Amino acid sequence: MRILRHHLYDGGGEVPEGKSTIGHGAYSDGADKSSEIGTLKNLSEGTVEKPDRADPADPFQIVGIQPSSSTLPAPKKKWYKDKPVFSLLFLAIVIGGCLCCKLIMTKDPTYMDLMNYNRAPDREFLFGTDTMGRDIFSMIWYGGRISLFIGLFSTLISTMIAVVFGGISGIAPQWLDTLLMRLTEILLSIPNLLLVILLQAILGTPNVVTISVVIGVTSWTSIAKVVRTEVRQIRSSEYVIASRCMGGGFFHLLWHHLAPNFISSIMFMVVMNIRSAIVSESTLSFMGIGLPLEIISWGSMLSLSEKALLTGSWWIILIPGVFLVVTLLCMTEVGNYLRRQVNQKERNL
Amino acid sequence: MKKNKVWYVTKKLLIFLISLLLLSVITFYISRLAPGDPLVSYYGDRVEKMSTQERAWAEEKLGLHDPITVQYIRWLGNALHGDFGISYKYKTDVLEVITGRIGNTLILGGVGFVLIFILALLLGVWCAWYEDRLPDRIVCRIGTVTSCIPEFWMSLLLILIFSVQLRLLPSSGAYTIGKSDDILNRIQHLILPITIVVLGHLWYYAYMVRNKLLEEVRSDYVLLAKSKGLDKRKILFCHCLRNILPSYLSIMAISVPHVLGGTYIIETVFSYPGIGTLSYESARYKDYNLLMVLCILSGAIVILCNMVAQAINEHIDPRIRANEMTEESEVVKR
Repeated sequence: MRILRHHLYDGGGEVPEGKSTIGHGAYSDGADKSSEIGTLKNLSEGTVEKPDRADPADPFQIVGIQPSSSTLPAPKKKWYKDKPVFSLLFLAIVIGGCLCCKLIMTKDPTYMDLMNYNRAPDREFLFGTDTMGRDIFSMIWYGGRISLFIGLFSTLISTMIAVVFGGISGIAPQWLDTLLMRLTEILLSIPNLLLVILLQAILGTPNVVTISVVIGVTSWTSIAKVVRTEVRQIRSSEYVIASRCMGGGFFHLLWHHLAPNFISSIMFMVVMNIRSAIVSESTLSFMGIGLPLEIISWGSMLSLSEKALLTGSWWIILIPGVFLVVTLLCMTEVGNYLRRQVNQKERNL
Repeated sequence: MKKNKVWYVTKKLLIFLISLLLLSVITFYISRLAPGDPLVSYYGDRVEKMSTQERAWAEEKLGLHDPITVQYIRWLGNALHGDFGISYKYKTDVLEVITGRIGNTLILGGVGFVLIFILALLLGVWCAWYEDRLPDRIVCRIGTVTSCIPEFWMSLLLILIFSVQLRLLPSSGAYTIGKSDDILNRIQHLILPITIVVLGHLWYYAYMVRNKLLEEVRSDYVLLAKSKGLDKRKILFCHCLRNILPSYLSIMAISVPHVLGGTYIIETVFSYPGIGTLSYESARYKDYNLLMVLCILSGAIVILCNMVAQAINEHIDPRIRANEMTEESEVVKR
């Protein structure tokens, strides 16, 4: 709904007052008619919008007018309206803090202070210390770098695989396309967790790069499907055929002609992929098959939480988790914003 | 007409079998390529004290000596006769190990699935009814937040609140030892895992119902019904809801493997004795035979559910293209 309503108002905002469409041109020669138009508009939206601008005195109800033909000057929007300002701000703070973690950290995040292990948050240890005596406040900024890096890197890998695979599958003849799609379905039917464990075992002891590769390799299918559908729609356009006739190779086609067309529709999924990659990393590390304890990330910090449960030290579980969840939430907001933007563009065309 | 149907079913069956075969090949090769010592899960710590001859003998006995292809053909031959080998860790027949555990997972996944199915529908209708008003906005906000919380962290949080602080619910296992027949005890152990299963998936499907309903509400027949004087409730429940039900059914069919996959992580967090923990163990400790059967089992469920969804799309609701559904359900889930 958000999308629809948004679009509706936006359509209204673009047209100058009173001169919107042909249908209304006839009506709107004076300001007194504008209330009538308002009524029409509200009625036409019928079940959906509450009649906020309707004239209460008007006894008639006209049903069946398409909303596209009705306009009212939309109230002027502030620049920050509908934009995920808070999310962007928070993301900027987190990313900035993680990049300049040297300036923020109050302690050495890797130093195990055996005198002060499992301390509740106080003035010296802002967020407390974990069961190994490391300062959680410093670890969050230090570990955030790794978590964010894994998110970005594995998304880069998965997007690249997805674009190439989807492109091939989209351009290929029908039988090859069916075959490729069947293969992805079979790959998908192996439980993700098991696939990750096995791949990780093949790649050897987990570190930041191998974890990213494993997550990237196992999470490209959904983007690939979208790319394939989009490519199939535009593959017989004139410019693609022209380019092929002139001898453009596959990657030339993909980069110069196909990618500009599907990039907006996969943007949302790419952002969501960063999110799910961070989730995967933390889940894996938590289960003890991801990053080891020495490599600090938000996930490996949480892997101490089993011990923390026994001692009831809530801060070890709560604080890194809250950071993780709020970051993910902000990414979702940004992703949703991107999706709304894309939908708008498609409809205005 | 009848012949067509027979052909349709056989075709589907063939695809199903071929997919399973390919799946078994892929899992077999990936699992054997992964380094790790399957002897450890069979002999435990004794492996370290073994001499080279003993090791060779043990590998010979478990049939790990031959090239992978030979091993695979032997495995396939045995499997077609119903013999899936023994689990290295439990040292009994694989099927026996699985049948002992699968009931727990079915209860967890089944109850969770039914709850998700009903609650998502209700929540979606509720949101569509109050579109963009306060109740809808509140639910949407809460939903977005819960969908962002990783399942394992939510489990930790609930354990921290309900088991550690309030001491109301147990934090692990399927029953207290010695009370395996006590139904009340089992239900107590189920509450937390099921809550996580439901919360983890609920919003995604509720949101889908909401969006589909809102799309439906904007179509022309609603206007007609309204102008004929039907009240809002009747239009929403008798007309709109009915129209989205087929697509909802097919989405839920695809969601079965997702719910199942979600239980894997939850089972390990709660150390709940189901096939989730079992497959986690078998993948980590190279219990090859067990791993193969578990992979094929879950793969069969996934492929079957996809086919059911496709069939629903093609037969009940011809308006929807078969492709569209699968894509939609993949988008946010992964």
